[in-house]
Amino acid sequence: MEHPEKNKDNQPTTHHISSYKEHFGTLVTLLLLTFVTVVVSVFGANLATLSVATALLIATVKVVVVAYYFMHLKYDLKLYSWLVLLVIVLFVAFTVLTAIEYINR
Amino acid sequence: MEHHTGFVLPNSGHNRDAEASKLGMWLFLFTELLLFGGLFIVYMVYRYMNHDAFLMSSFELSPVMGTINTIVLLVSSMTIAMSITAIQKGNTKTAIKLMSLTVFLAFVFLVIKYFEWSAKIHHGLFPGMEHYTNLPKGEALFFFLYFFMTGLHAFHIIIGVIFIGVVISKTKKGLLTSDNYSLNENAGLYWHLVDLIWIYLFPLFYLIH
Repeated sequence: MEHPEKNKDNQPTTHHISSYKEHFGTLVTLLLLTFVTVVVSVFGANLATLSVATALLIATVKVVVVAYYFMHLKYDLKLYSWLVLLVIVLFVAFTVLTAIEYINR
Repeated sequence: MEHHTGFVLPNSGHNRDAEASKLGMWLFLFTELLLFGGLFIVYMVYRYMNHDAFLMSSFELSPVMGTINTIVLLVSSMTIAMSITAIQKGNTKTAIKLMSLTVFLAFVFLVIKYFEWSAKIHHGLFPGMEHYTNLPKGEALFFFLYFFMTGLHAFHIIIGVIFIGVVISKTKKGLLTSDNYSLNENAGLYWHLVDLIWIYLFPLFYLIH
């Protein structure tokens, strides 16, 4: 989605300025997710495999929040989001396909 | 910027390209992601092969220290993001204060890390030490990966401190302003990447029991 405040030349003067409030809100979200991760791992200790998956899932949500708000992907050109997605897909595809190869033998 | 030479640059004299600069930084960050990605794959494979040993060893780490450091890095990510808002609004002094606060938090992180490493080294768990050498293979692997991965991450924190330090100095000199803040943004992007990597390191080493 193109933002109206951005002109064709993408000059820095027309860039979106995130508010202090938005940054603070992002931090609160990240701290809450951290709290959830710690609770899941401490109280879910007997559910070993479940807590591994849950901890990694929450970490991934945190990473998306950091990239989307703090790293400004929300307001940048869509190109950046596509490139990030490309790198992630490459990494996950390699990891998962290798694991499947190994497990199925 | 008007010049009297009769020649006007097609870019109106601004010999910089904020978008290209940012794209260059992102491309560098991708190489960093794949560097740590490779290390995470190594961790994954050895953890799969030495499940119980990794589990036992992870109890040696302090989740309290890890949680405090996670909070410290998240807050520092906010302060650097806010410093960019400040410089965009032309509040140079606020931007400098927020960047300095980020550097301070980076040092807090490193001090906590120092105490953690010291405790492990005191127990002889650093690769090459006597206790480490006598550990079963799986546990030795866990500590090797712990020191290598958190060590490489701490190295990135130090580079980040230097990077932000340079930006603070340039901002003080008035070289970076509300219409030229690419370097501030790039330092911010780098700092967030360091935070991102820690977001995965923390549960993988400290929390997965």
